[in-house]
Amino acid sequence: MKIAFKLAFRNLIGAGLRTWLNVIVLSFSFVVIIWMKGILVGWDHQAKNDMEQWEIGKGQFWHNQYDPYDGFTITDSHAPIPSEFKPEIEKGEMVPMLFAQGTIYPQGRMQPAMIKGIPASQTLLKIPTHKLDSVTDAIPAIIGEVMARSSHLEKGSRIVLRWRDSKGTFDATEIEIVDIFSTTVPTIDVAQVWINLETMQEKLLLPEQATLFSFANPEENRSEVGDFRLKTKKDLTAEIDAMIETKNKGQSVFYIILLLLAMLAIFDTQILSIFRRQKEIGTYVALGYTRQQVVTLFTVEGAMHAVLAAALAAVYGVPFFIWQARVGFTVPMDTSEFGMAIAPTMYPIYSMGLILSTTIIVLLTTSVVSYWPARRIAKMNPTEALRGKIQ
Amino acid sequence: MPILIVAVGVAMSVFLHAYITGLMNDSIEMNAKLSFGHVKVVTKSFAENISQMPTDLALLETTALKEKLSKEFPEVAWVERIQFGGLIDAPDENGETKSQGPAIGIGIDLLSAPTGRGGETERMGMAKSLVRGRLPENKGEILLSELFSQKLGVNPGDKITLIGSTMNGAMSYYNFFLAGTLSFGVQVMDKGTIVADIEDVRLALDMEDAATEITGFFGSGYFSADLAADVKEKFVSNFPNPENDEYSPVMLSLKDQGSMGQFVDLSNTMGAIITFVFMLAMSLVLWNAGLLGGIRRYGEFGIRLAMGEEKKHVYRTLVYESVMIGIAGSVVGTAFGLFFAWLLQTYGLNLGDSMKGSSMMMPTIIRARITPVDFYIGFLPGIVSTVIGAMLAGVGIYKRKTSQLFKELEA
Amino acid sequence: MKTIIAFILTIITLTGFSTPDANEILRKVDKNLSSDNRVMESSITIQGKRGARTITSKTYAMGDKKSFTEYLSPAREQGTKMLKLENQLWIYSPSTDRIIQISGHLLRQSVMGSDLSYEDMMDDRKLTDIYDAKVLSEEELDGRKTYLIELTAKVTDVAYHSQKMWVDAERFVPLKQEMYAKSGQLLKRLEMKDVIQVKGRWFPTTMIYKDMLKDGDGTEFKISKIEFNVEIPEYIFSKAALKK
Repeated sequence: MKIAFKLAFRNLIGAGLRTWLNVIVLSFSFVVIIWMKGILVGWDHQAKNDMEQWEIGKGQFWHNQYDPYDGFTITDSHAPIPSEFKPEIEKGEMVPMLFAQGTIYPQGRMQPAMIKGIPASQTLLKIPTHKLDSVTDAIPAIIGEVMARSSHLEKGSRIVLRWRDSKGTFDATEIEIVDIFSTTVPTIDVAQVWINLETMQEKLLLPEQATLFSFANPEENRSEVGDFRLKTKKDLTAEIDAMIETKNKGQSVFYIILLLLAMLAIFDTQILSIFRRQKEIGTYVALGYTRQQVVTLFTVEGAMHAVLAAALAAVYGVPFFIWQARVGFTVPMDTSEFGMAIAPTMYPIYSMGLILSTTIIVLLTTSVVSYWPARRIAKMNPTEALRGKIQ
Repeated sequence: MPILIVAVGVAMSVFLHAYITGLMNDSIEMNAKLSFGHVKVVTKSFAENISQMPTDLALLETTALKEKLSKEFPEVAWVERIQFGGLIDAPDENGETKSQGPAIGIGIDLLSAPTGRGGETERMGMAKSLVRGRLPENKGEILLSELFSQKLGVNPGDKITLIGSTMNGAMSYYNFFLAGTLSFGVQVMDKGTIVADIEDVRLALDMEDAATEITGFFGSGYFSADLAADVKEKFVSNFPNPENDEYSPVMLSLKDQGSMGQFVDLSNTMGAIITFVFMLAMSLVLWNAGLLGGIRRYGEFGIRLAMGEEKKHVYRTLVYESVMIGIAGSVVGTAFGLFFAWLLQTYGLNLGDSMKGSSMMMPTIIRARITPVDFYIGFLPGIVSTVIGAMLAGVGIYKRKTSQLFKELEA
Repeated sequence: MKTIIAFILTIITLTGFSTPDANEILRKVDKNLSSDNRVMESSITIQGKRGARTITSKTYAMGDKKSFTEYLSPAREQGTKMLKLENQLWIYSPSTDRIIQISGHLLRQSVMGSDLSYEDMMDDRKLTDIYDAKVLSEEELDGRKTYLIELTAKVTDVAYHSQKMWVDAERFVPLKQEMYAKSGQLLKRLEMKDVIQVKGRWFPTTMIYKDMLKDGDGTEFKISKIEFNVEIPEYIFSKAALKK
C-alpha cells in the first residue's frame, strides 16, 4: 500500500500541468465550499449573537398578554416585577423593560412609536442606555438608526412625545434624542423610543412593573414566573434558523456543481491515464500485482488529487480564510425590513467539523470518480495490455 | 468524447450562472413583488412618510396617471396598489363583535387582471402560499394570513369586517367574505396581513380612482438598476413638478426603498464573484480537457508526420479542430445548460419541504433565472480554454520526434 | 393701562373679593352644558390635508350616560349610527349591517378623522366631579369678561390632567378651553363661539377643536339646532335601535 502511494504520487507529479490543473480546480472546491459554509455559520452565529447582545440576552420572560405583533396587547402587558427576579436584577443579570404605546410629532405629523423603558444602568444589552443618564431639561431618549432615518431625527433633536399613563391620562413632553445607536436588530430599532425605565414607570404610574425581562443565566429552569412566561433563546431565534437552513440548501446546489466540475476533470484525466498507460498496467500485472492492486494503485493516484488539492487549498486558502475572518464579508442580504437580525458584514466561522467534513466529502467523491474508470483495468487482458493493445 | 466534456462543462457553467442569478435575486424580487416594485410612483409627501402608509397622501386620478405611465413606459407593467392599515372585526352569530385585530392591508388587482401570467395573483405567488380556502374570485372576498385568521377564530367562508380609515380620515366599515388564508413565511406578515382586491379596498376606504402607489414591474420580470435609472430619468422630465407640490407624483426605484439599494448592489457583486470563481475553475477543467484531448492523439500525429505532413500543419489542424470542438461543445452545452436552467426556472426547486408550513410566499423555492448573458457565457471558457489546452498539447508535437510520437500510438 | 388693569384684577382675584368661587363657576358651567334630555343637529367640519369635509348628524341624549347619534350626510356616512351607553360604544354601519363595538384602543382613534377621539366624547362625568377648580384671573376674551379658571384633576382616570378654561363671567359658558398633559404640555385647544340661549341655558353652538401637537386647522363643530328637555323614547338607546 505504501508503495502504491509513493507510485501514485510520483506519477501524478510526473504528469505536470495536467495534474496541477485538476488540483487547482479541486482546491477551489475546498476553499469555496469551506468559505461559503463558514459565511453561513458566521452569519447564523452573528445574527443570533446580535440578538442576544442587543435584545434578548440568554432568553426572555414575557408578560402573558404581550404579543409584539399586536400593538393592542401592549397596554395590558405589564405586571409587578416578581420578587424572584429581584436578586438577579440587582446583580445586573436581568434587565426589566416596560413598554407603552406613544405618539411622536415630528414636523407636525403624528407618528406612532413604541416607548420602551430600560434601566439606564443596565450593561447586559448593548443598547447604549448609559446615555439615558444625560442631564437635559427634556426626557433623554435614544433611538436606532432606522428610526432616526424614517422620522428625520438626529442627535440633539427635540420632539414631543405623547403617551397615556396606565389610567388613561394624557401626558406629553419633549424628549431629546441623546444618542442614536446602530444595530442589526430591527426589533429594537424600528418605530421605537427608548427612555429610562424609572422615568417610564413613574410617568405611566406603574412603579416596579415591567412588560418583559431579558436575562443572562440560561441554566435556571423556570418556565413560568408569576405573570411572565419563559421565551428561550431558541424560541426567539427560530426564524434565523429557518432562514439559514434555506440559504444553506440554496448554496449546496452550488457546491454540488462545483464538485461535479472538478470530478469531471478528474474522471477525464483518469480515463486518459488508463488509456495511455496500458503498457504500464500490463507490466504491473506481469510483475505479480493482482488486478485489484493495480486498480487500487490507479484509484489512489486519482484520489491523490484530492490530497494535493487539500494541500494547495491550505497554502492559499488558510491566509484567505484568516483574512476573511478578520475583515469579514458583506453578505448581500438585508432583511431588516422583515424584522430579522441580519448583519451587513459577516465574519465567517470555520469549525474543525466543517473543514473535516468538507475534506472527507471531497476525498470520497474523488476516490469514487477515480475508481470508476480504473475498474476497467480489472477487465483487461494482461498480455494484451502489456503489448499496449487498445481494448 | 472531447465535445462531450466541453459540452458538460459549458452546460454546467450556463446552468450555474442562471442558478446563481436566480438565487441572488430571489429576495430582491420577493421584496419587489410584495411591496417595492421595480419602480413605483407615489406622491411626494407619501414618499417622505412611506413608513406610515398614509392613505391620506395617496395619488388621485390614478386611472389617467396609469394610462399615461403605460404610454410613456410601455416596457413596464404598471399596477395600482393600496397599502393601508386597518382593523379586522369578526362577528359572532348576532353580528356583534367577537374578535378584533389590527391588520396591514394590501389592495391589489386580484379580479380584473388575467389570472394567468402577468396578473397580480401570479406575481405575488398567491396560489402557492394559500393555506386554506381559495383565492378570491368575486368582489368582496379577502385573504387573511393564516395565523391572523386563527387569532380571530375565522374560517374561509366567514364574514369579516374591515374597519379602516378613508383617505379623508373618516372611519369606514366594509364587509368581506374570507376566501382563503395565506402563509408568507415572515412572522411580521403572518401575524396580521390582509390581501383584497383593489376595487374593494377603494370602496372600503373611499378611495375612488385613487391608490397609494402605482407600482411598475419590468417586462423581463426582474429588476435592472440601469433600466430603473433610465425610467426614472425619463419620468422626471415627463412629469415635472416645478411648484414642488406635495401631491405630485414622484418615482422611486426599488433601490430607493428600504435598504434595497445596498442589497441590490451586494447581490450583483456576490453573483459576479461566484460566477467568476466558477468560470475560472471551469476554464481550468476545459483547458485540461483540451490538453488531454491533444495528448490522446499523439499517436495519430506520429503517423501523420511519418506520412510527410508538416509539424506546423498538424499543429494547425489540431488547433482548428479544437476550435471546432470548442464551438460544438459550447453550442451543445449552452443548449443543455439553458434547458436545465429553464426547467429550474419554470418548476423551481422546493427547498422548503422540511420547514413548517411548507407553502409560503417567502422564497423557499429556488428558481434559476435565464438572462441574456447565459447565451454566451459558456462560449468563452468553452472555446478559449479548449483551444489553449489543445495548443499546449500541440507543443508536444514540436518537442518530440516523429518516431516517439509514432510510438505513442502503440502505447 | 392694560397692564395696570390686569394687575388690579389679579389683586382682586387673589383677595377673592367679588369673584365667585371657582368651583361655583364650574358648577354653573356644568349646569349650562350638561343636561337632561336634548336633541340636536350638528355639523362637524374636518380640515383634512386635502381640503375640508363636513358631516352632519342628529344626536339624542338622555342625561349624560346615554346618547345616540345618526349621521345624515354625506352619503357615505348616512345611516351610520353610534350608541353610547355608560362607557361603552357601538357603531352600526348600514353598508356592512354590522354592530361593531368600539373598545379599548379603538376608542382612542379620532372620530371621523377629526381632532376629537371617541374617548374625548365618552367622558360624560361632570367637570366638578373630576376637577378641582381655581380662579386664576379675570380676562377679556372677544369683548366678553371671562374668568380664567384652572382645573386640576382630582381623579386619576381622566384624559387631561389639567385644563384652563375661560368662562364667560355673565353667562357661565366656557369660551375657550386648553387641555394640558400632566407635564404641562398643551395638547388641545377648544374655542367656543356663537353662544345662544335656549330654554334659559346658554350654549355655545360653534366649537373649534384643535390638536396642538399636530399641524392642521382643527375641527369645527357647529350646532344648527338644539332642543332641551324633549321626550325621547327609551328604545332609542338600545342596540336594537341601531339596526333600524
